[in-house]
Amino acid sequence: MPIPRKPERSVVTTCAYCGVGCGFRAETIGGRVVRMVPWKEGKANHGHGCVKGRFAFDYYDHPDRVKVPMIRGSIEEPWREVGWDEAIAHAATELKRIQGTYGRGSVGAVSSSRCTNEEIFLMQKFARVGLRNNNIDNCSRICHSPTQFGLQATLGAGAASQHFDSILQADVILVVGANPTEGHPVFGSMLKRRVREGAKLLVIDPRRTETVESAHCLADVHLALRPGTNVLVLDSLAHVIVTERLHDESFIRERCHWNEFEQWAALVGHARYSPDVVGPEAGLDPEHIRRAARLYAAGPRSTIYYGLGVTEHSQGSTGVMCLGNLALACGHLGREGVGVNPLRGQGNVQGGSCLGSWPHMLTGYRFVTDDAVRGSFERDWGIELDPEPGLRLPNMFDAALAGTFKAMYIQGEDPVQSDPNQNHVVAAMRSMECVILQDLFLTETAKFAHVFLPGSSALEKNGTFTNAERRVSMVRKVCEPLAGLEDWQITVRLMNAMGYPVHYDHPSQILDEIARLSPAYEGMSFELIERNGSVQWPCNRKDAPDGTEVLHTRSFPRGRANFMLTAYVPTQERTSDRYPLLLTTGRILSQYNVGTQTRRTGNLAWYAEDVLDIHEADARQRGIVDGDWVSIASRYGSTRLRARISERVSQGTVYTTFHFAQSKANAITSDLSDWATNCPEYKVTAVEVVRMQARQAADRAVAAEVSA
Amino acid sequence: MWSELRALRDEIDYGTPPRDGAPVTLTIDGVAVTVPAGSSVMLAAAEARRAVPKLCATDMLEAFGSCRVCLVEIEGRRGYPASCTTPVEPGMAVRTRSDRLQALRAGVMELYLSDFPAADIPGGWSELHEVIQATGVAQHPYGRGENHLDAPVDESNPYFLFDPAKCIVCSRCVRACEEVQGTFALTIEGRGFASKVAASQGQPFLDSECVSCGACVQACPTQSLVEKSLFVGGYRRADSP
Repeated sequence: MPIPRKPERSVVTTCAYCGVGCGFRAETIGGRVVRMVPWKEGKANHGHGCVKGRFAFDYYDHPDRVKVPMIRGSIEEPWREVGWDEAIAHAATELKRIQGTYGRGSVGAVSSSRCTNEEIFLMQKFARVGLRNNNIDNCSRICHSPTQFGLQATLGAGAASQHFDSILQADVILVVGANPTEGHPVFGSMLKRRVREGAKLLVIDPRRTETVESAHCLADVHLALRPGTNVLVLDSLAHVIVTERLHDESFIRERCHWNEFEQWAALVGHARYSPDVVGPEAGLDPEHIRRAARLYAAGPRSTIYYGLGVTEHSQGSTGVMCLGNLALACGHLGREGVGVNPLRGQGNVQGGSCLGSWPHMLTGYRFVTDDAVRGSFERDWGIELDPEPGLRLPNMFDAALAGTFKAMYIQGEDPVQSDPNQNHVVAAMRSMECVILQDLFLTETAKFAHVFLPGSSALEKNGTFTNAERRVSMVRKVCEPLAGLEDWQITVRLMNAMGYPVHYDHPSQILDEIARLSPAYEGMSFELIERNGSVQWPCNRKDAPDGTEVLHTRSFPRGRANFMLTAYVPTQERTSDRYPLLLTTGRILSQYNVGTQTRRTGNLAWYAEDVLDIHEADARQRGIVDGDWVSIASRYGSTRLRARISERVSQGTVYTTFHFAQSKANAITSDLSDWATNCPEYKVTAVEVVRMQARQAADRAVAAEVSA
Repeated sequence: MWSELRALRDEIDYGTPPRDGAPVTLTIDGVAVTVPAGSSVMLAAAEARRAVPKLCATDMLEAFGSCRVCLVEIEGRRGYPASCTTPVEPGMAVRTRSDRLQALRAGVMELYLSDFPAADIPGGWSELHEVIQATGVAQHPYGRGENHLDAPVDESNPYFLFDPAKCIVCSRCVRACEEVQGTFALTIEGRGFASKVAASQGQPFLDSECVSCGACVQACPTQSLVEKSLFVGGYRRADSP
């Protein structure tokens, strides 16, 4: 057939992969999606796409999709297919039974950043009105919770200060712990475009990523620091800025508190953070630290983009505060081309954060302990809410092991593969009496579930996503849900079965409810988003009827911004004779997170397994050659991977991805976490790597581990 | 810069990127139209709903001026300038249709079609096919000369294929890889008639530096680069047995 088939119908929607949130035209023939064409009017992508959003959509009707609800008495039993009514009734009965036996706090819920704003909002509502507690958390716990905490503390708003296009007006771009050309490819292309136009690029990352060096894009300074020394190095940049008096005094006096600046300047100005002291400790040339600091301060328009390389540390929140402090000190906020911007991982993880899917906060980051805030929800929902904050996700697992937490409703998350210290998570899962999992596929977590509710992909539902630039865009139904229900409909049924009657005809009514109950979304509606294409929060009828592109232009949410003290405290995770290497983890272009979607697409052509990147010198010492199977052991567990000799990692550092379940990358990561938010320290684990003698040895090791 | 990107429209291809300069008024076939300074005559014509046929031009890429089907007449100027590379000027009077322009465009189209699979001309829906419609040129008077019709198809990428038989070497894919994606994986290898699109060092797409973003596929006006998902039972050339 030489002439391609012409698509019959097209629906503009938002990509379900990363936090860039590209607009696509989903084109169909006979109701089946045949092509995703980047939407030229998408304000996040302007007609561009990447290998995931553009091509990797086949997972949606993959044969592995579960289309019928299933239940079982125990995780040893085979699944039994049932109708929706029976599955929902069974789940509700179990939740009620467990609450009757073990107490109201013995159950909880986890929302998904791949679901819509409306679905996330309903999940936290489910916990609060259905379970009658605050045991609700979301996956930003394990990625950007420090962003929200750290930016809230400094700037007063825990989200990106800019819109993506703002980078096209930046003179200096500082990228910290992020690799946008692989993790956020369409934004990465925009960044490279600006670098080709002459902007200076500064990168702080232990790896020599593609962002550091690729065709016609070369970082002016690359600080390849030792994993775990972010705060130290950022404080050292600040040291250069305050000791060389490169800060913007008039901005600080006008927009911040001068006495706070002085306290902060005294801390970072201490000789402890001098580049001459920090350099050797972090594995850097002190001159490079100075050069980066001077370039950033000089601007005139300098912007910061950062990723999980900042947040996923025991000092993750402190690292984020360091970035806020830097921008404040140099006055790089409140204009085009400047700012502090988290690159968020999942398509709707910003929504996950905004919409109250937290054990201690309701929508808009407002505390559940605040009587006035809680009261507004109680009036709207007609039910009394628990004033006590609930359990965070890791605490739910701890409580499960302690025998006080017995059931969990998980929507579109795979904690067994994605959360740190896998052995601990598995043990917690095994100790629960009812795990209700709502997903597209039988994931790793499904092995420990008792009820499986087949969910719908983003192509099968209506709703909205909020991307990393606070942009709320429309998700439109391209085809009917394969299992019959959109995810929000499942949650509504479960809520009803728990004894809380509620009904929505359409997700637009849920967004209306969100708008009613959240200041930042106050002016949002499906109608407004339809009319404008997309809308960035804060959006309210009085001051920002069409949303807000750049934050902090005239004042900060608290009036003035705050400098936070950011003393460096090294992680407890240390290398030793036994574990001499530092493992850091991340993602690559063609695969996405735990791979539930991308592993079921043609993207396997580029990356069919996780590999361990190791420096040639470290490999040689251990007799490892390219392609060898190696075992990687940490204080927490072990796994095996194929080794790849790589120039991207420095000596002493090894790197792998976590896209494939069988590689068990999170069997080795620690249970250390951010001091403020419990965000796990995925980015630093002390390990040893040993060459495996033969394939059989590898198989034996795995067998032993599985039976253990 | 970004305000220009935001001026892109899904249903319209202005041919060259929107600009945000001061307003300039000119006439296209007698119709007055006002566009920002720095815009091309091609963009102004699209705004005036007098779109000029084009192959190497698209509004996500800077003008290139290679395909020669977008020629126009401009009052007071000699020759037939390419509308994509000619910036607008105040008071300019542009003619997009005339017998002479039609003859020139037909001549160019006949040359393109002389090295394009004849069986793929009817029934297609690519931009080339739109230009075939617009110019009314669906065949060529030439015999079978040197051609690229037997060049092997590259099907290495899981999602799209490259059939050089349909390639008109307009460089849109190469420029999309550079300007939009920023990977610089594609190039035009060779000179003159021997010039062809190549990935990295003449490698299959999958083995090259290509990151499969799809910008080249979207940019291709002839569906020489095209999604595999649009073919049932795999790709077969029309003239293959």
